[in-house]
Amino acid sequence: MRLRVYRYDGKEEGYDDFTVPDKEGQTVLDALFFIQEELDDSLSFRYSCRGAVCGSCAMLIDKVPRLACRTQVQEVKEEEVDIARYQALEEGKSVSDDHILIEPLPHLEVKKDLVVDMDKFFENYGKIEPWIEAKKGLEKEHLMDPKRVRELEDYTNCIMCAACFGSCPVNGEKEGYLGPAALAKLYRFHKDPRDKRERLYLADHENGWWACDFYTNCRTVCPKDVPPNLGIGNARRELESEEDED
Amino acid sequence: MKEHDIYEHEVLVIGGGLSGLRAALASLEEGADVAVISKVHPLRSHSVAAQGGINASLGNAPKAENDTWKDHAFDTVKGSDYLADQDAVEVMCKEAPDVVLELEHMGTVFSRLDDGKIAQRPFGGAGVPRTCYAADRTGHNLLHTLYEQNISEDLTFYNEYFVTSLVRKNGRILGCVSWDFEEGKVVGFASNVVILATGGYGRIYNRSTNALINTGDGAMLAYDVGVPLEDMEFIQFHPTTLYGSNILITEGARGEGGYLLNSEGERFMENYAPEAMELAPRDIVARAIITETEDGRAFEDEFVHLDITHLGESKIKERLPGIRQIAKDFAGIEPVQEPIPVQPGQHYSMGGIDVDTFGRTCIDGLFAVGECACVSVHGANRLGGNSLLETVVFGRRAGEKASEQLDERGSYDMNMIQEKMEEDRRMIDALLNTTEGSPYSEVMGDLRETMFEHFGVYRNEGSMKEGLLKLKQIKEDYDSIKIDNENRRFNTALVRALELRSMIKVAETVVLGSLKRKESRGSHYRRDYPERNDEKYLQHSIFTKTEDGPEVDYEEVTITQFKVKERGY
Repeated sequence: MRLRVYRYDGKEEGYDDFTVPDKEGQTVLDALFFIQEELDDSLSFRYSCRGAVCGSCAMLIDKVPRLACRTQVQEVKEEEVDIARYQALEEGKSVSDDHILIEPLPHLEVKKDLVVDMDKFFENYGKIEPWIEAKKGLEKEHLMDPKRVRELEDYTNCIMCAACFGSCPVNGEKEGYLGPAALAKLYRFHKDPRDKRERLYLADHENGWWACDFYTNCRTVCPKDVPPNLGIGNARRELESEEDED
Repeated sequence: MKEHDIYEHEVLVIGGGLSGLRAALASLEEGADVAVISKVHPLRSHSVAAQGGINASLGNAPKAENDTWKDHAFDTVKGSDYLADQDAVEVMCKEAPDVVLELEHMGTVFSRLDDGKIAQRPFGGAGVPRTCYAADRTGHNLLHTLYEQNISEDLTFYNEYFVTSLVRKNGRILGCVSWDFEEGKVVGFASNVVILATGGYGRIYNRSTNALINTGDGAMLAYDVGVPLEDMEFIQFHPTTLYGSNILITEGARGEGGYLLNSEGERFMENYAPEAMELAPRDIVARAIITETEDGRAFEDEFVHLDITHLGESKIKERLPGIRQIAKDFAGIEPVQEPIPVQPGQHYSMGGIDVDTFGRTCIDGLFAVGECACVSVHGANRLGGNSLLETVVFGRRAGEKASEQLDERGSYDMNMIQEKMEEDRRMIDALLNTTEGSPYSEVMGDLRETMFEHFGVYRNEGSMKEGLLKLKQIKEDYDSIKIDNENRRFNTALVRALELRSMIKVAETVVLGSLKRKESRGSHYRRDYPERNDEKYLQHSIFTKTEDGPEVDYEEVTITQFKVKERGY
């Protein structure tokens, strides 16, 4: 298989083509390591767990944000991913049948090759104050209904890989938009019965809940099946009904 | 940043996984100025991959109401094949309920029983269901919780910095030197305290469940400045790693009732541990699988089956959703309908930096916690659910202790840090300027293969001696590894080459310890010495660095309340 890989060294940008031998079960991350170890050791990309739990290796693979470690080389061309297309997923080199196109995640500044600046993503996450105020010296756990745990798990499963951020047309248009992951986290804390704070207001503005246009790309590309769109919809309904009561 | 590129912080934590973040939080809460340095973003640390759970004698599960910390301690000591220090085990098991409840109060979404209490599942080597869990994503949930708590305290992070050296003066720590990936330059850190929390050295083996970043850097750093390493030959091989990629399939799959089947469809564990069956400790199950494989009862001579189909779809989806996803993503298997192909793989490093129960090393101001340390609570074999526990118990203790001694320290000594920075600059320039020789990846591959082949589940003198010779060659090869690009920014090849330096030094101690310990205990199994020999080896191995490589000595195990007995399951 051939891979066409985006390159940027701080000055010049472009694409390099590499041929990687076909191997059963080979992931895109394996292929990138093959390139790095055998063909061109100047290639930079992030990695850690290689098992789709750490969130390091989200990138554009054939114009779809995915984890490189979870994407099988042989399946890229077979898998149909139904997401709304927009400028960030159209520009650059185009997808073709004779190679897999590997590019950095959109909406984040490229530092080198496939390495992007994640600061903006984590700053947005920080804005929703993602923590519970812990009490000390308590002798028992809070009791929690197992059903509520399952609801929360839909959101706590987020691995902060930013695939959603890189797939969202609104993030492409609005510089300040918090993005799906941060909003999903905020919703998770809002729904946590242990968290006594009023929270929804933290995103009750034009760059928060109200910016989402429900393209649902976020949910489609999430490697952990987190549904930010549902959390955002629920939060909006709650805010609207509060307003009605006022 | 001060002139000369040296940052200053009172407490410097190296590593952003669970133990590092717990230590940082404890020091922050005591008012210290703390920073975490990590070669990856903290959420990418290997702790995130821990699946099954964290042990604490909460007594929540039915039939476990009378569980006590003493029962937990006994199971841990027996599981360790009596090599764990019993005073350290007592500390860990006593503090376990408190740290778990604390994490719950910090926001971890643990799985629950119908009555709303934290759920607990059975795990290998434990008398009762004692393992608290968050589905099969316990590490992920705990790591995110501790990260959240630390950002609420405004912790300073230096992400994507690789620490190349510690700086010590006489018996005291002064700080460290590191490589900044993004800027592509050497920077220094001056501090009163350094807490190493860099994780294990699993990646010196191929067939490892570990993240690719687990290269023993912390152990090497401490060893290099004269801190002894302890019990390095004890490497845990997890019985069930996914065939092909060796991604972990949690012990929780067996805890929930999964069977291990050989190619004849037999639950072979009845021939090895008739009472505990699939829930015997990991060393015993791993050896059983290798024996089945050697005797021709494996599939394709490579793997056995882990069958959870009889648990039913709803239980699998609720309790083991991550495992289901892993089997689908990485083996194309739907475990609701078909068995999972598994084989043993390297999983955990029991050995590490020699520390006391506050994480203190022999150097004033230098601490180590978590998998990079050896307290020792795991001895010759760690029980599942005790590693997450170790990270938070000893992380907290070290963080608190570290902040106590800040006032006793004088001002920072920049000269020595600058000298070390200059030395490391030269070392890195030399690596970048070498263009003839072997690529790092080739040498790294040789090392991993050698370790798995000669220092794996079963060991013997002849094979290990061959391995020793190969390691000598690998060391020589490292001296002339080449890097073909001269980029300074985000140079992955350079970082891998630096990691390989750690891996080789650590591997040397594993090799020496395995050769010298002429007995079988826990994970260290020698076919030429198949019995445990308490008379000679109820002892910790202690490794120190000399000019001619590592030297090993032996030290008494601390025994308090549990008499050393034969270990049967």
